Amino acid sequence: MATQPTTLHLDISNAYFRMDSEEVRKTRDAHWYARTNWGIAVLRYEDSSALLKSPLLTQGSAKWPAQHGVVEGHFDEWWQKTLLVLEGGEHNRIRRLVNPAFSPRRIAPLHAKFQDLADGLVDEWIEDGRTEFASRFAAPYATRILCVLLGIDENDWKKIHELASTIGLGLGITIQENIARIDQAIVELTAYAESLVRSRRESPKGDILSTLVDARDEDAGKLSDKELINLIILLIFAGIDTTRNQLALSVEAFSKQPDQWEKLASDPERYSAAAVEEALRVNPIGRWISREAAETFQYKERTIEKGTTLHLFTMTSATDPAAFDDPDRIDLDAERSPHFAFGGGLHHCLGHFVARADIGVALSTLATRLTDLRVGEDAEWLPDSGNTGAVVLPITFTSRS
Amino acid sequence: MKITVDEVKCQSHGLCAISAPDHFELDADGKLAYQETFDEEHLDAIEDAIDSCPLQAIIMDRDAP
Repeated sequence: MATQPTTLHLDISNAYFRMDSEEVRKTRDAHWYARTNWGIAVLRYEDSSALLKSPLLTQGSAKWPAQHGVVEGHFDEWWQKTLLVLEGGEHNRIRRLVNPAFSPRRIAPLHAKFQDLADGLVDEWIEDGRTEFASRFAAPYATRILCVLLGIDENDWKKIHELASTIGLGLGITIQENIARIDQAIVELTAYAESLVRSRRESPKGDILSTLVDARDEDAGKLSDKELINLIILLIFAGIDTTRNQLALSVEAFSKQPDQWEKLASDPERYSAAAVEEALRVNPIGRWISREAAETFQYKERTIEKGTTLHLFTMTSATDPAAFDDPDRIDLDAERSPHFAFGGGLHHCLGHFVARADIGVALSTLATRLTDLRVGEDAEWLPDSGNTGAVVLPITFTSRS
Repeated sequence: MKITVDEVKCQSHGLCAISAPDHFELDADGKLAYQETFDEEHLDAIEDAIDSCPLQAIIMDRDAP
């Protein structure tokens, strides 16, 4: 066998590992990939772009629980059948049924509701000059939007939010120490999803959930009851935790660049879409996208053995100086290449149009109402992983009035 | 009716090939190939493909011959 090139090692299992560190920058300058605790990390834009959509790679997250000693239980059983890790015909059949429900056409009528929610939440604390952003904006905003999308009673949002956050721990590096709680959350959310399906069967409401129930009932066998429940849990979990965390990360990114925050405030209609893309580029919640080699193949000078996990480092590739001018800065007027915060290929994020729309409304609303935005030094962050974000995010600001 | 794909926007994610596999396909290199014309019976699948494209790069011309 040919000798593999010597490359640096990144300890991504360390809770203090940071993707925006000098260590990662230097590693990216040195080589297109690094070794990690689980497979290799792809660091540069050109290589991430090529490998993300490569037909030689499958989605690589199926092994995540096992890599952390979790090989059975409610979370693992759910995870191994989620759309996120399914492949081939099974994946395509379910994806074909659910894709159209999340199209821009279906999302556009909800903008006014997003706006009402954002304004209502800001009203609650704007007079104080400070707030705890994670619990006073990000969590209720993301969760109540999910409730609207699925037609869930908004009064249930706190319980739903708690369950979704707990399941989110399953994607973090602390999965094993939390697995008992995570399993219990799956049990509770399963019961909740079953009750939702029962209620939609009895009285359809014209929401996304009713559409999914119809896809099951009108064409028996296409989406089984089990698949439907699995999917609802995925939508609840993935729809809340991602948006909630990305809102906090976006606010943090903009707090470091008041000039761009002011630019957004001056013309939100013009800049809101760019604000979302730039925040996702420089500070994404999914710090890496996982893939697995379906067969052994040669990529550049490296032989990638079948079964190798590849972590495509999203933040690292999207701030690669070879692909972006002044890459770490948000620039709302710059023409940027696409980032990979929503993954790519057949597993491209299902809910990205919803996320882009609701984060855009949130950032525009915040920018037009708050200035002198600062993040407190006592902010608490989850470790970098496939799902990072703020646990606590105290902010101070001046109200624009 | 006819469809075209804006090849500057297209990132070859392949979701169109899930929705309408008779008309969209990723080749061995992962690049998108597609047919411009389609029969009325495939309209639903084509519309699903248009809806599903992450870049919204598929354009339908309803008046094209």
